[in-house]
Amino acid sequence: MAGLTLTNVIKRFGAYEVVHGANLEIADGEFVVFVGPSGCGKSTLLRMIAGLEDVSEGTIEIGGIAVNDVEPSERRIAMVFQSYALYPHMTVRRNLSFGLQMNGNPKEDTERRVAHAANILQINELMDRRPGQLSGGQRQRFAIGRAIVREPQVFLFDEPLSNLDAELRVQMRVEISRLHKQLGTTMIYVTHDQTEAMTLADKIVVLRAGRIEQVGAPLELYDNPANQFVAGFVGSPKMNFLKARIEGKGASGVTVSLRADPRVKLTLPVSSAVAAGSQVMLGVRPEHFVNAGAGDTDLTVRIDVAEHLGHTSYVYATISDEPLIIERPESRHGGDSDSLTIGLSAARCFLFDAEGSRLR
Amino acid sequence: MPLRNRIAYAFLAPYLLIFATFWLWPIINSFLISFQNTRVNPWRFSLTVNWGRLVADPAFYNALYNTLIILVIQVPVMIALATVMAVLLNSPLLKARPLYRFAFFAPVVVGEVAYAAVFRLMFSIDFGIINKLIGSVGLPPVSWFDNGTAAMALVIIAVTWRWAGYNAIIILAGLQSIPGDVYEAATLDRVGKVQQFFHITLPLLKPIILFCVVLSVIGTMQLFTEPFLITNRGGPGGATETLGLLLYRQGFTSLNFGYASAIAYTIAALAVAISLLNLFIGREAK
Repeated sequence: MAGLTLTNVIKRFGAYEVVHGANLEIADGEFVVFVGPSGCGKSTLLRMIAGLEDVSEGTIEIGGIAVNDVEPSERRIAMVFQSYALYPHMTVRRNLSFGLQMNGNPKEDTERRVAHAANILQINELMDRRPGQLSGGQRQRFAIGRAIVREPQVFLFDEPLSNLDAELRVQMRVEISRLHKQLGTTMIYVTHDQTEAMTLADKIVVLRAGRIEQVGAPLELYDNPANQFVAGFVGSPKMNFLKARIEGKGASGVTVSLRADPRVKLTLPVSSAVAAGSQVMLGVRPEHFVNAGAGDTDLTVRIDVAEHLGHTSYVYATISDEPLIIERPESRHGGDSDSLTIGLSAARCFLFDAEGSRLR
Repeated sequence: MPLRNRIAYAFLAPYLLIFATFWLWPIINSFLISFQNTRVNPWRFSLTVNWGRLVADPAFYNALYNTLIILVIQVPVMIALATVMAVLLNSPLLKARPLYRFAFFAPVVVGEVAYAAVFRLMFSIDFGIINKLIGSVGLPPVSWFDNGTAAMALVIIAVTWRWAGYNAIIILAGLQSIPGDVYEAATLDRVGKVQQFFHITLPLLKPIILFCVVLSVIGTMQLFTEPFLITNRGGPGGATETLGLLLYRQGFTSLNFGYASAIAYTIAALAVAISLLNLFIGREAK
């Protein structure tokens, strides 16, 4: 087991820079999730840790040792691929033992490790099948098994659940979480799915366009996003962003008015320096709207569609062409009328400047 | 039959007619001719005149022996070479890849007569470049066209040169269908490049290689061009006479169509039998 340190890690493909100086500290035994939209560099970062891509600049340390020039095979890491990457012509048992056999590991030890992995993942009865005879979920389980057998210092997962259907994804997510508890090994997990990030991670690393936007515990990112990107990325459905204008600053904070309805004014506990009249974004999560009259101000929206899921309802609405989603846990009749008046509570709203930085 | 189907068959009729006349009928007819004594006029039916001669004919056994020798040496050598070429062509280190791919494939495109003429020049005893090269390392010149063993070697070299690239391109297509992350997984599994080749690449290429072997077996069983054009019609003294050449001599020099048909059927039967044997040996273990 080992922790990792990334110092100013840069990756260039030719003249094109895809990772712009990543700094990151991962503690021993931590479950870290790299999350971000496609093309943000999360997989590249993971592949650099694995050694499958060279590091253009900066250093990667595993267990306190710089591994830039260490062969991938010598880094004591194991990787689980999105496409499983099982050896198609070998039985599952041989898939698990192949690497150890090729390295002259004693037969008894190999068998012990394979049996151990099979026990952990409860895959004993399928060991003599070939990957082609297995379902996607089973294949991914064996791909994880192959990683376990290596007894690595660090597990790397590259979007391992992307090829599975929704139900299986939830199931495998729970299994991976259980695996981490059981093994206690450092795990780095790449995904574009914020739900996976939120449910699995001890620590989430949000990336955008080759830059780390924020690092923190899942709820920290949810409660206290550093910028508009992170605020929009973490949470489902997404945070609503309403255009707003700074009206002025007083002792209790900054007062803004909505562009869609300038009568709606809200004073937020923000102490950053702001100029009156400047344009900002007011962020509010769908689940943080309150009943009319219960918040600091009310606003009236036009309802487009209401989705009733049983335990909750989502109302898709607009306020003078600005879309927003409102969660109404108590309501099963949100779509009956054309308009809806709901309350906003200043304590649950965020303010972002024109560049997307959080105003605190 | 519904009208729809009858109309469909009406449209198919011209093709079926041509297919039956020029494909099906000759196949059946040549089988029937193999039971005719075609050295008398008019031809007479005889069960044994051709097939009986075949099993006792030293010329047939000579041609069969030559063909099988070429098959047993040339096909494995060529497929091994083609596999190596394909792996090199697939290497990310290779620059100007399309150029090499074309160069390897080019021999198939070159006209047979032209290539045979060039080979005859290159292997010429007195002024061929090959003997010059052999001489430059101090070895005696080889009489490529007068020595039976050397002539066989020449045929094998020529056929290999002509078809290795073709097979390499087919194997390359197979290589490119192996996902890259399987190799990445193997790399992380601490499996070396050579081990990866033998334990991952070769097993995954097996169906493609088997396909190439079957194609090559069929091609070599019918081998005609090289011994005819390069080694002087199966020379020296029948040392490179193949079944294809024997068939040609019987059918088109001696005009003994009955015997030629029997040889043709023997070639086809052998090609099928050897191919089936290959498929049987290379079948997937269940």
